[in-house]
Amino acid sequence: MATPLTSPPAVEYLGGTVAREQVSLARDALRRLRRNKLALVAGVYLVLLAVVCVISLFWTPYKPNAIGTCQTYELPSASHPLGCDELGRDSLSRLMVGSQISLAVGLATAFIVLVVGVVVGLIAGFFRGVIDAVVSLIINVFYGIPTFLVALALYVLLGPGLINIIVAISTTVWMDMARLTRGQAMSIREREFIEAARAGGARAGRLIFRHILPNALGPIIVQATFVIPIAILTAAFFTFLGFGVPPPTADWGGMANEGLPSLQGGFDPYILLWPAVALSLTLLAFNFLGDGLRDAFDPRQKR
Amino acid sequence: MFTRGTLLYIGQRLVLIAFTVLTVSFGVFAVVHSLPGNAFVSDRVHGRALQILLHEYGLDQPIPLQYWNFLKGAVHGDLGVSLYIRGLPITPLVLRELSVSALLGGAALIVTIGLGVTFGVLAAVRQNSWVDYLLTSIAVVGYSVPSFVIASLGILVFGQWLNNLTHGALYYPEPWSGTYGTLAELSLPALALGFYTSGQITRITRAAMLEVLKQDYIRTARAKGLQSRVVVIRHALRNALVPVTSILGPTVIGVITGSVVIENIFGIPGLGKEFVESIFQHDYNVTVGVFTIYAALIGVANLAVDLVYVVVDPRIRY
Repeated sequence: MATPLTSPPAVEYLGGTVAREQVSLARDALRRLRRNKLALVAGVYLVLLAVVCVISLFWTPYKPNAIGTCQTYELPSASHPLGCDELGRDSLSRLMVGSQISLAVGLATAFIVLVVGVVVGLIAGFFRGVIDAVVSLIINVFYGIPTFLVALALYVLLGPGLINIIVAISTTVWMDMARLTRGQAMSIREREFIEAARAGGARAGRLIFRHILPNALGPIIVQATFVIPIAILTAAFFTFLGFGVPPPTADWGGMANEGLPSLQGGFDPYILLWPAVALSLTLLAFNFLGDGLRDAFDPRQKR
Repeated sequence: MFTRGTLLYIGQRLVLIAFTVLTVSFGVFAVVHSLPGNAFVSDRVHGRALQILLHEYGLDQPIPLQYWNFLKGAVHGDLGVSLYIRGLPITPLVLRELSVSALLGGAALIVTIGLGVTFGVLAAVRQNSWVDYLLTSIAVVGYSVPSFVIASLGILVFGQWLNNLTHGALYYPEPWSGTYGTLAELSLPALALGFYTSGQITRITRAAMLEVLKQDYIRTARAKGLQSRVVVIRHALRNALVPVTSILGPTVIGVITGSVVIENIFGIPGLGKEFVESIFQHDYNVTVGVFTIYAALIGVANLAVDLVYVVVDPRIRY
């Protein structure tokens, strides 16, 4: 998004400025986002989570998969702030490492969906005609495929694994992004500045990536933000059932699953509680951030 | 209400549903049977014994032929026999589990629609007040927090902290009894299952109500002195429900998939629990049968939602 060449002069009125300085869409969106307290808190939380995730790559208080660093079912104490699980593993260390899986699933899925959905959507929306018809058909076919089916197939054929989950989620959620981008591309390609660019000799590739894509970016970013919590939630759903990352890898869904018996037995709720809280806060944060971004990019469309 | 066009539409949809169910069930069938012998891997049988076993269950035939045999049985209501408890017919088992799941799913749907619509209406009527902010926040919490977290917290709070207060009436660590007090037994699982999908309904209801409440006829109704309650419920809500019905399809699907997790947590012997167990036990005939039922259920549920649409909004004709 290009910044305007000149800003209109501010009008002095009763000592205050009336016309605000003209700013780019991105900066304007950022300014509105900053006024949204909830989105701001969510953003801060996610930055902290990312920091924890990076730290856990190099350092954790104890080895996350080391059995017997403390008593089994040890309650929170000074040396083990979050207590220990049923195998005597330090819960804090496992919680920290578990953030890697959640963020990896969320970001990887969002990235795949972003690339596939945007490219497919742009092509369908820009060229229309036969290509659009074929793409729309493919999209509708994919809508009929349940996530569970793909996840199950990959589980049966390849066994449990992180990549399988990412593939299963990506193949069943990219269509929304494609449809959104297609709609955006179809409406933007009719605008005058596209006509002008075409008259200036721009070819399809340049029109799509230099003119249409930047102008469709707002809704695309918002949609991508919402893909992250969906992916994390679905992945947690599968790992909780035991189809996801195989043990002993620390993962929030799997940790919650391991903690369930001790919660039901009534002797140690913490094993389940920590990953459950971490997961819930992360999903909330992404959803609030997504809401904030949507309001920021499109202030007219209030929920 | 149901014109000839509608009936024709229903027919077309049923054909489409049958086609989808066939495709999905063949997909699962091909996948789970692509590794012959996988079903008996935990029995540690090899060589000749395995060959005999495979032959006995028809697993040594080509997959299309196996699927054809499965279809022939399925048409007559026979989904085959279990490979885990060998020789146990699946159909009666699955039907019993389906009835349990249907009970849970129905209760969850009531919870989700009841909560969602009530919250949505209240939030819209008190727009931009603390009530609005509270209820919309609860909605976001609803679709952010995984259902297994809600379920676990429910067990912790009602089953343990408040156990004496509720006399254990809301907590079932033991397998589902299904004999007495089914309603009490259902309450916590249904709440945990319904809460997740209620968030979206709250959102849509609120948005639709805000839209409707701005209309002229609402002002007219108020101007002629009707009570606020009457205006909101009888005049506004009726029209606001039209967009709400449009997300009933995803809601039903959410309840069906969510029940898989909830049944496993609460030990409810429904279809979802059987489904997960069958996968881990390599009981693939059950897996195929249950998945086929799920596909059919989702298809029929979507059709039912479309028909509700016709009832709610008379302008819609197929």
